[in-house]
Amino acid sequence: MKAASSLLAVLLFGAVFAGIVGGYGERESVSALAEQYLAMVPRELGAPNVVTGILITYRGFDTLGEVAVLFMVAAGVGVLLGGKDTTTASEPGREPRRPSELVGNGAEITLPLIFLFGAYVIKNGHLSAGGGFQGGAVVASGTMLLMLALPATKLNHGFLGVTESLAGVVYVGIGILGLVFAAGFLDSHILPLGEFGTLISAGAIPVISALLGVKVGAELSVIIDRFRN
Amino acid sequence: MELTGSILVLTGAFFLFSAGLGLLRMPDTFTRIQAGTKASTLGNILVLAGLGFYHPDWALKLLVVAYFVLMTNPLSSHALSRAAHAIRTPMAPSTMVDALREEGDRQGNGDVS
Repeated sequence: MKAASSLLAVLLFGAVFAGIVGGYGERESVSALAEQYLAMVPRELGAPNVVTGILITYRGFDTLGEVAVLFMVAAGVGVLLGGKDTTTASEPGREPRRPSELVGNGAEITLPLIFLFGAYVIKNGHLSAGGGFQGGAVVASGTMLLMLALPATKLNHGFLGVTESLAGVVYVGIGILGLVFAAGFLDSHILPLGEFGTLISAGAIPVISALLGVKVGAELSVIIDRFRN
Repeated sequence: MELTGSILVLTGAFFLFSAGLGLLRMPDTFTRIQAGTKASTLGNILVLAGLGFYHPDWALKLLVVAYFVLMTNPLSSHALSRAAHAIRTPMAPSTMVDALREEGDRQGNGDVS
């Protein structure tokens, strides 16, 4: 009975997926909106990566909202999990196991690589796949490895908080500069476009990307650290 | 050139397949971790090498990825199996020697690093 019903479930799923696969036709040409963006972003913003150009300039307000959501999450986690004394965790008579030497040494070798890769992803956001959010997440994963492999590490929450707030303030400040000197809030034309495809180009997009990376990296690191205690 | 790359990718795929087979067929946690790690490390590196034959201009990036896999894959398996050993995960009945436990008993505590 059980085997029959699972076979029936598999067959039904198969029918559903066969319908989806059979109905799939590869799109021959891009839609009008995509075509518009594909032409507009490299010409007006000077960014080869269309997605980052859209996210940071045309939908910059949306990105600011995402950063605000992340900030609210960090604040909420801090309210829920912060403020407790951390010494209650270790019960007497049962010492925590020493971390493995191999893991510690390996983490010391891979951590610089991870942080370097995070910085690379952040700085190349306007050229290739990547950007502030992704690079910040990579940096935060490095922080997580640091906590797992070397548990004695203490994060300086005050410093991280100040860094993150400063990045947010400068981000909004750049947006207001765009309001004053260019076409609107978060317009990237306040800096010269530069040569197409080089590291320093595309107006304010790399600056905003770097600020986003710093902010996201610091925020996620603090969130991860809150969960440790 | 492309034939060499294809053969390398195919060999890597074979090793990755054997890693999956090992995960299914091995009797206990430790042998599964061992099968998964060894075969998937080699399989990954072979696939990356094959890709390097296809796109010689990616060679440096692929080398970095291979280095990263080589650094992290055995290390994470080591951490996993060490944790499994510390909470006394049962071993397969055919296990003869537990050198890590004997070493720990000889030193007078239940655990060594």
